[in-house]
Amino acid sequence: MCGLAHYFESEGLSTVLVGFVREHMEAIKPPRGLFLDFPMGRGMGKPNDPDFQKKVIRASFDLLDDTVQPVLADFPDVIPVKDGRMGYALPPELVLSISDIGDVDALLAEVAAEMNMLHPDYEVAVASRGRTTVGASELAITDYAPFVGEFVRGDIPKSPRKGLPAIPLLKLVVEDLEAYYTETRTHRDGIDDLELMGKWFWEETKAGRLLLCLEAVSIASDDRVMRQIVEMSLMAPRFWSEGPLPGTSAAGW
Amino acid sequence: MTKIPEMPAVGRGFISDLTMPVFENPAWTPAVPAKERRVSIVSTAAVSRRGDKPFSWLAKDHRVFYKTDRDLVMTHVAVEFDRSAWQQDLNVIIPLDRLDEMAADGEIGSVADEHYSFMGAADPLTMEKSAREVASQMKQEGVNTVYLIPI
Repeated sequence: MCGLAHYFESEGLSTVLVGFVREHMEAIKPPRGLFLDFPMGRGMGKPNDPDFQKKVIRASFDLLDDTVQPVLADFPDVIPVKDGRMGYALPPELVLSISDIGDVDALLAEVAAEMNMLHPDYEVAVASRGRTTVGASELAITDYAPFVGEFVRGDIPKSPRKGLPAIPLLKLVVEDLEAYYTETRTHRDGIDDLELMGKWFWEETKAGRLLLCLEAVSIASDDRVMRQIVEMSLMAPRFWSEGPLPGTSAAGW
Repeated sequence: MTKIPEMPAVGRGFISDLTMPVFENPAWTPAVPAKERRVSIVSTAAVSRRGDKPFSWLAKDHRVFYKTDRDLVMTHVAVEFDRSAWQQDLNVIIPLDRLDEMAADGEIGSVADEHYSFMGAADPLTMEKSAREVASQMKQEGVNTVYLIPI
């Protein structure tokens, strides 16, 4: 992001950016940067809070009037994070192995029932917001869990989507599945709490259990890309964990 | 403030290993007065209009979306940031409604018709060609101010 600012400035465009990692902003020196002490994923701070969002924008745009270059300022308000982590992280000890998986058909049936229960509230949430972020995979919602299930059984199925291989599609399906759950509950229960939503989805739902089973299969997979989605923390939320990542040596951490 | 040494081990490891690009003699474009600003957003959230091609994991390219678009999806490779916020309100990552309000109130000049998205996980040095294409499109549209917002 800081690098992009330099390209735009060199093209005669004035830039201002916001950022979450102050040390990076100090190192790359964007022309005008506003450091936000917020969790990542919340550049304007708070959803459905226009006043707060405008406060961030105004503080950003104020830097355009500054003649010092480069300028790096701190937004005064802080949105606290838990234990230095900028997003939810699974507990390091919550790791399944293949022997924990059990009856995949039974688990898929439980996930289907759980999703059915949520569906009326999901529809209400979509109608109320006038939008949904679910659907990047372009699979039908009812196909999400069965598609994941094929991987959990140890297969790598043919991608049903032209131009997108099965494993990148799997990642989008996982994210759609989580979004289906969290969009529903944030609306239904009026919750805006990333830690609570992460804990609920990943530690308490049947869908979360299915994805932990997927992670167990990925760790043991012969496929390099399947292993990579665990080793790079690209699927299960372990980036902010005290580690180590499942399947890796603790020595590196 | 959360400093890198205080971050949990996995994230600290990933973030500490990143190489920071160095820009010698960086350019500086003076800003126009507030009421003359035509603002375009550049997001690195890897969002795109529903139906657009998903971003690849280390994409160098970009997607265009329009100021009236609200039906966006995200194909960012990383999962370390909170996605529940933008699910509730697009403005928390791409504040199109807020900029519209500020333009209507005369705080800024106008909001561009076109806005842009990149894959934030990719090396910015690989995005230079695409960024310069975006800059060209912006200038054709009369944009003079770019608001960069990461995810």
